[in-house]
Amino acid sequence: MEIAIENVSMTYPNGKQALRELDLELKSPSLVGLLGPNGAGKSTLMKLLVSALAPTAGTILADGQPLEKAERQLKARLGYLPQDFGLFDELTVTQFLDYMAALKGLRGPQAAIREVIRAVNLEEKARARIRTLSGGQRQRVGIAQALLGDPAFLIFDEPTVGLDPEERIHFRNLFSRAAQDRLVLLSTHIIEDVQSVCDQLVVMDHGQILFAGTPEALIQSAAGHVGVFWEREAGQEAGLHITARVNTGRGVRCRAVADTLPAYAQPSEPSLEDAYLYLIHLHSKEAAL
Amino acid sequence: MKTLRLFPLELGRLLRSRLTWLVVLLTVLSPAAGLILYKPAYADTMLSMYLANPALAGGVAGGILFALLTIFELDRARRSRTDMLTDAAVSPHAMALVRLLALLTAAVLATGLAMLVWLPISMGLIGAVFTGVDYVLAYLLFMGLALPLAILAAGAAYQFTQRTDLSAVLLAAFAGLSLTVWADDWQLCWLNPCVWAMSDDFTNFRLFRTVAWMRLTWLGILAGVWGVSYLCIRRYGKGLLGSLGRSVRRVWRPAIALALLVCSGTAYAAQPFYDNSNPDLTAMTLYELDYAEGVTFLDRTVQVFPDTEAGAVEGRAVYRFQNTSGKEWTACFGVDPGYDLTASVGGEAVPAVRTGYEESNMALWEIALPADGEVELTLEYGGFPKDWNLSSTVQGDPEISGIYLCLENQRLFPYLLNVLPGDEDYPTTVEVTLPGAMLAIPFGTSEAEVVAEHRDGTRTWRYASNSTGGILYAGDYVRQDIQAGGMTIEFYYGRKHQAVMEAAGAADAVRAVVDYCTEHYGALSFGTGDTLKLIQSRVAGGGYAVDGASLLNEEDFTTANLDDTGKGAIPGEVFIHELVHQWWGLGNMFDTADETSPWSSEGLTVYTTYRIVKELYGEDYAQKYYVDQWRQEVDDYFLNFYVRRPEYLEKLPEAERLNIAGSLSGVRHYSEMPLKILKAEQLVGGEAAMDQILHDLFNREVDPAYPYLTYQDFLDACHLTEEELDLG
Repeated sequence: MEIAIENVSMTYPNGKQALRELDLELKSPSLVGLLGPNGAGKSTLMKLLVSALAPTAGTILADGQPLEKAERQLKARLGYLPQDFGLFDELTVTQFLDYMAALKGLRGPQAAIREVIRAVNLEEKARARIRTLSGGQRQRVGIAQALLGDPAFLIFDEPTVGLDPEERIHFRNLFSRAAQDRLVLLSTHIIEDVQSVCDQLVVMDHGQILFAGTPEALIQSAAGHVGVFWEREAGQEAGLHITARVNTGRGVRCRAVADTLPAYAQPSEPSLEDAYLYLIHLHSKEAAL
Repeated sequence: MKTLRLFPLELGRLLRSRLTWLVVLLTVLSPAAGLILYKPAYADTMLSMYLANPALAGGVAGGILFALLTIFELDRARRSRTDMLTDAAVSPHAMALVRLLALLTAAVLATGLAMLVWLPISMGLIGAVFTGVDYVLAYLLFMGLALPLAILAAGAAYQFTQRTDLSAVLLAAFAGLSLTVWADDWQLCWLNPCVWAMSDDFTNFRLFRTVAWMRLTWLGILAGVWGVSYLCIRRYGKGLLGSLGRSVRRVWRPAIALALLVCSGTAYAAQPFYDNSNPDLTAMTLYELDYAEGVTFLDRTVQVFPDTEAGAVEGRAVYRFQNTSGKEWTACFGVDPGYDLTASVGGEAVPAVRTGYEESNMALWEIALPADGEVELTLEYGGFPKDWNLSSTVQGDPEISGIYLCLENQRLFPYLLNVLPGDEDYPTTVEVTLPGAMLAIPFGTSEAEVVAEHRDGTRTWRYASNSTGGILYAGDYVRQDIQAGGMTIEFYYGRKHQAVMEAAGAADAVRAVVDYCTEHYGALSFGTGDTLKLIQSRVAGGGYAVDGASLLNEEDFTTANLDDTGKGAIPGEVFIHELVHQWWGLGNMFDTADETSPWSSEGLTVYTTYRIVKELYGEDYAQKYYVDQWRQEVDDYFLNFYVRRPEYLEKLPEAERLNIAGSLSGVRHYSEMPLKILKAEQLVGGEAAMDQILHDLFNREVDPAYPYLTYQDFLDACHLTEEELDLG
């Protein structure tokens, strides 16, 4: 599966410009983490990829075919979990998955349904009405329907919302396994979710792609821009963005990113979160100028 | 193909919803409203009361219920955001189509269940005149087709607006139009078809055809509108127009919607059931045409071939004229507006021009003829007859089927408008070929006889007449010849009604009434020959008579009417009552313009029935079942709250007011007036004196401008005043 986004812009009818001249290439197998603050344009990008929206400019190609002409073919190979979705409450989990399997055109879907129910740990609730499920269980039904039919392209928008920590780890591993032979796009604001499993990262803000590459490259870009210091020793430098404050017995220990670290800050090895915050901070500063 | 695979799944999902089953249950129960609350079919036949009204009520209620279910279901996916998942798998267009098919299937299921549930109930209520064909067609057309129309309308409203509140308002307005402003337009009342009556004893195919035409026309219109709304299904985050712009790129989509709209628009404009007669009912253009100078009518031979399967007619009429003018001339014919016509003279085709003018259910045709002294004009005509547009809310006439038909004047053969009669008026020989089970009954003094029997089971009947037009009844009739009143009564009634007629002692009742009334009041003016045909007609809202024949409206002989104790103690007496109307009601007509007056044809009819029953069963019987009952009814009447305080009646809702007023009016006509006549009988000197008065009234010279027997005429004849007959 190969997705090429070429010079894509998206402006909503109310005039809000959600995406600006995006260029991006995604190839399977890969697990791509899509990061960005609220309003960065992540959901808009994913809606464009599932043909829920049409770009106001530019082209999206799926395996070389313009999406508007290959929409049906793409949908046949797509698994999508939107951030905000609903289920038919009157159906059981199995009935709902049977319904979605039919929508996806799966023939003889019973084995596939059993497999995804097992994958999302819902065996005990397979015959339960959806109206009786908890929020986390509903989220797992959503993930299960996306996995149905072994799609070549999976898009998950904030898939771990509502899941407890153990489930989040389980699903991170599930996505990682799924990406071994597929293209998986995982949008989240939880850095932990992408840190351990994604081999590619795309960072967006204000409708633009700020970074596209490996997590290591993103971390490397922040080297020399991350430091730690005691709060009591800190001055009032502009451009210093504190990313963490930890109370210790010796006072408050701060972690910060900056273009140029002040003298009182000791350089530190950047984490993925530091690198992400540095990138966003840097972009915000440039945008302000 | 994917749509077909998705359909059973979406239907299964729909049928797992409790709301769906609630709607289905209410729809199945809704025909009950037609027995109690909603009775648009106002004729008193059993099928009108116990089949048409329940089916119509089921259509209105079921239509509204399914429309609401449609709006709810279409909005549900959006409201619950399930569409976020489904739209990623299939296009919203495919889902819209699948949801529509699922809702339509649920509607079919509801109709089928309603038909199953109501079958034994209808059979029990309707009794001997129940038939499966009427039942199935009534439920399918009056009820069943209302549901898909409502689903399409509601679906279109939602797809245009994407809002439940707006969709509900649009739907309410659309249904409201049908139930109010459009209620009297047979083509527009999509939810509540114009059905005023169903025949018990004969067929209802003409009625079914008109309703089917209306329903199918609307099905096309609403499918087209739904098709346009389908193009407006929101996609790619765009609004109505943006989505429309994207959807029309697949040209077949708007093409189908447009084709449906064009076809249904054509079906609307080209409806074959009603003509375009001049709406000015005083117009007499066709009857005031100048007679052709020097031309007289010699004779006419007609062969008519009703197509009882298609409800159509074909015919061939040969006219012979004498022309002494030596000039070419134009023959004018009034032809059923549904017929086409070709003409030839001596084997050579001559132009027959349809002028475009229609009046009194006749299209004016003109045929230029040569100056020859004797002209033989052959007309080949035929088609599906059109009814007069003024009767579009009383559908059903002209019925042509394998067990009943009535062909009147221009529907039987082209009606000659501008040629003077010869010495023998308009001598005509008519041959009509009918299915073997049908009897041909010329309405008048003519007698038809079978002149040929064909291999296909049909028979050709022939009769002669000399009138300008003619009326032919034919049907699967039972004929009983009864000697009474010094003549032979040919009594014809539908075979389907035979059991009811025999149970009511119809033949004996005919004999008793004709003997009694002829002896006491005189012979019927239209029964002056040796024979009188009494023909039970298909429900028509009234009867009429000509020399030698009179109609009995089937409404008067239903089981429900014959069981009406207000008209007689037993069914046979109700039968007597209805026959007495041949003298009081038809032989002498009554003007019933004043609703508050007790005077109507019923007073003298009930009084005469009492007198006949007194003669048949004795004074005690008549006193107990007639006079005592009248007194009781009248006593109750004067104690009635609304009679004592009529100002409160005016304050009631219209439907209730009309119901109470109708009931009170019935007491005045059926009980108060007979008591007044009984009082008059005592005041004028007894039964013999009253008989003489009524005899004189019956045979009085009638003013053709106002041919009605009034209360004042009666009082004057009795030399009494209104106050003297006061019962207080």
